[in-house]
Amino acid sequence: MNRRRFLQLSGIAGILAAHRAPSFAQGTKLHIVRWVDFIPEADVELKRQAPEASKALGAEVTFEFINANDLQPRITAAIQSGSGADIIQMLWNWPHLYANALVDVSDVAEPIGKSQGGFYDIFSASAKVGGKWLSMPHGVGANAIAYRRSWFNEIGVKEFPKTWDEYRDVGKKLKAKGKPVGQALGHSFGDPPTFAYPFLWDFGGAEVDKTGKKVVLNSKGSIEAVKFLQAFWKDACDEGGLAWDDTNNNRAFHAGEISATLNGASIYIVAKRQKEKIKDEKGEPLVQDIEHAALMPKGPAGQFALYVPFQHSIMKYSPNQKLAKDFLKWLHQDANYGKWFEVNEGYSVGSTKKWEENPMWGRIDKPLQVFRQAARASLMLGHPGPASAKATEAYTKYIIVDMFAKGVQGTKAEDAVKWAEGELKKIYEG
Amino acid sequence: MKKPIAGGANGSVVVALPHPRAQQSRPVTRLLESERLLAVVLLAPTVLLLGMFIAYPFVSGVWLSLSNTSVGNPGHFVGLHNFAKAWDDSIFQQAFRNTFFYTFWATVFKLALGMWLALLLNRSFRGKRLVRASMLLPFIIPTVLSTFAWRWMFDPTFSVLNWLLYRTGFIVTKIPFLSDGVYGMWCAIVVNTWRGMPFFAITLLAGLQTINPDLHEAASLDGANGWKRFWHVTWPLLKPVTLVVVVFSIIQTFSDFQLIYVLTGGGPANSTHLLATYAYQVGVATGLLGEGAAISLFMLPVLFIVVWVQLRYLRRLEGA
Amino acid sequence: MVIERPWKRWVYFYIPLTVFLIGTLFPFYWMLITAIRPDAELYRSWRAVNNAPFWTLNPTLEHFRDLFQKTTFPHWLWNTFFIAVISTGISLFCGLLAGYALARLKFPMAGALGTSIFVTYLVPPTLLFIPLADIIRNFQLGNTPWALILTYPTFLIPFCTWLLMGYFKTIPKELEECARIDGATRFGAMLRIIFPIAVPGILSAGIFAFTLSWNEFIYALVFLSSPERKTVPVGVVSEMIRGDIYFWGQLMAGALLGSIPVALVYSFFVEYYVTGLTGSVKG
Repeated sequence: MNRRRFLQLSGIAGILAAHRAPSFAQGTKLHIVRWVDFIPEADVELKRQAPEASKALGAEVTFEFINANDLQPRITAAIQSGSGADIIQMLWNWPHLYANALVDVSDVAEPIGKSQGGFYDIFSASAKVGGKWLSMPHGVGANAIAYRRSWFNEIGVKEFPKTWDEYRDVGKKLKAKGKPVGQALGHSFGDPPTFAYPFLWDFGGAEVDKTGKKVVLNSKGSIEAVKFLQAFWKDACDEGGLAWDDTNNNRAFHAGEISATLNGASIYIVAKRQKEKIKDEKGEPLVQDIEHAALMPKGPAGQFALYVPFQHSIMKYSPNQKLAKDFLKWLHQDANYGKWFEVNEGYSVGSTKKWEENPMWGRIDKPLQVFRQAARASLMLGHPGPASAKATEAYTKYIIVDMFAKGVQGTKAEDAVKWAEGELKKIYEG
Repeated sequence: MKKPIAGGANGSVVVALPHPRAQQSRPVTRLLESERLLAVVLLAPTVLLLGMFIAYPFVSGVWLSLSNTSVGNPGHFVGLHNFAKAWDDSIFQQAFRNTFFYTFWATVFKLALGMWLALLLNRSFRGKRLVRASMLLPFIIPTVLSTFAWRWMFDPTFSVLNWLLYRTGFIVTKIPFLSDGVYGMWCAIVVNTWRGMPFFAITLLAGLQTINPDLHEAASLDGANGWKRFWHVTWPLLKPVTLVVVVFSIIQTFSDFQLIYVLTGGGPANSTHLLATYAYQVGVATGLLGEGAAISLFMLPVLFIVVWVQLRYLRRLEGA
Repeated sequence: MVIERPWKRWVYFYIPLTVFLIGTLFPFYWMLITAIRPDAELYRSWRAVNNAPFWTLNPTLEHFRDLFQKTTFPHWLWNTFFIAVISTGISLFCGLLAGYALARLKFPMAGALGTSIFVTYLVPPTLLFIPLADIIRNFQLGNTPWALILTYPTFLIPFCTWLLMGYFKTIPKELEECARIDGATRFGAMLRIIFPIAVPGILSAGIFAFTLSWNEFIYALVFLSSPERKTVPVGVVSEMIRGDIYFWGQLMAGALLGSIPVALVYSFFVEYYVTGLTGSVKG
């Protein structure tokens, strides 16, 4: 061993001995913007972790939580003004849309993905742009149909309907009793698209073909889908749903206004955690009557699902990129991530298959267990084409959601589809 | 030393400058004396502020609308492409129609109700000052906050209005206040009317109070009833004030953003968008800055024309 | 006095007036009731049997308490107040000077300048906010109250200018001329004679500007991002809708409290406010 080597080793040893984290300039702040979680306790957990992260990284870590529908405007404002939060949460396949302004985080994502058995497919579609990881996958917000077991039993339905036709009959009977199905079709980031896209696919419709270049929306399948929804809406749904955003169906369900709705696990979890306040018409805690159907019913072309991928991106304008990467690595350490994961109780599932094995699944209520492997099933916006920036633009403009909303409002199905096709063509064909 | 005053033939007065003190004119004093230079000094802060924060951004906005800039991607010149694209866009067309519809009806209602209220307030009665003060409240309270109250009143599941109508037997199924495009637009008009009517009322009231009551007396002695009195005596004298109020109101209503943003967000299915909210959605939410700027610019010529027409009419009225 | 019979008075006057009053004030009553009702009573379906929306037997202050403890509402109140006061100050200053110049002084382009100030009023904020964001960034004012303090005058100054212009026009020129005969400079006359007389007009313009500034939304929405920096309108809209839930109780509490400062200022100066409104229209 020569002297240089000795110095090297002792240097490293010195650092290890001092347990000092690599220190950043005095007063460095790391600002992270996320949505206000539908499970409030998850945000509480993150806030709790912030000081721990600050200590581990030697800088001040702060979280800011904003309304999910405000994320995109906030991102636009930040990128345009070249300043703002260091890390911003990305939903769906937004990294494609903001690709030029995001930092390549492959060096963070690849090792974590590999060590945990690989990310779900939904992420290679949404987080990877041009072969580079532009965001670090964080979790998946899966959804299912929450429904009132007792009301379904009352009309003789013991198992959740398997096909859309069956569901329509069931819904009709329920609506006749003043307990319709509820579905959000407004302009909100979560519930409306997670319904509209798979519903379209269930009937064989699609925005584009496999290459992602040709708009094929105007097809028999799409028109069938719109026609069916028009009938389903009138027969079985709460017609106020056109104005609903992500919160209205939760409220309506908790108030006993609707019998079933597509949602994440938040309806169940909030009912459970507030069982003193949320009661059914008999005065019992509502949570006892909630059941989940893992997937929406089957349509003629299959049974599809669409979940929301949650990711974190580092903004290119940030002066603290290295710190941000270190933070992401810290956040995904098993101990830290695990605690957040458990508090979620299935609302956000992990981004890799490893978290399906987490013991939490054995402990939580049975209706929540449907979410365990849910993330495997999800497709992505733009299916069957690639999840490109154009697909994101179509999502942001709510074209598919509006196609159905128009149909339900009275436009002829063919016209609604034609309108949507025109809008898509403007995006895809310039 | 100047000559002393003489009452000029045309009635103009020339001010005589007093002697020695002013004659010491230091440059500053001379500056402050000269009308032109004083005007420059006085107007400088305004011109500077408005130039920096309106004129310059306006030009920049126009350039933006002629480019295909989107968030994070500085664009290049594309001529009138954004405008053409907007014109073809059915959502834009809807927003365009909505803006006219909304402005027209809201203004009509505000004018009618404001006028009626002004006539009512034009009498003396006990508690008049209190009534007048409380009538202005909708106009004072920040729009966003009061619109939220209305939104809660229209809520799809918990609406108090539905409750009221249900209890009094008028309806059986709930009214989809904000879930339907047409209903939604009318709800917005109602809220805008509620908010803006006081402005009309108070201003028209002030106008009414300048009308000599003897005129009314004379007219009624001549046998004119209430309505005739209004139409032939009151209205002609009120026209100038009315016109100005209407112009103000149209400018505000046409470019309204807050009310729709809070009440419906432009939904359901983009059916209640106005030009301003749609421009925001395209420019900021979707990040297509060039297109958003183009949509905003569509507002400008319309506002210009409306205002110009009304001002010319006003000038004609005043000249007559 | 035009005579009319009592029943006519009731039909044509008292009843319509009452209807107007109810229609105007009901939303405020609704805000108040919602703010003091407990959550359990708030979220009852419109058809529920036990739904008694117009009053509550269990008033609670929990929404107000949550508002102060769980959100940064007090910051918003302060921010909005601070920004409103300073922008009003700047706008009054500029408006005063400009109004005087346009009303009293003769100089080339007086008409053109007056018109161009009017024209700026036509440029919608929704066009300006994107390029303005660039300027704000260049001056590094993003997310600070100064971004608003410098941009609010853009719509406050034209208004103050017209109002004060109209006011100045009603002040007889002889006053100034007497002052100048007595040896005052034009500027001095302006300061010492005219401005004091215009104080009512200044008050009117100031109060109107204050309420307009309190009411502004879109610039605040785009230029401010941290929760502690927000103004009341933006804060209430963005922070009260958290996750799956609209906290209507807190929202209405926030709406009420957010309106009170403006309402207070207004109530003390109603006369000035009214004069402001009418003066601007006539001017």
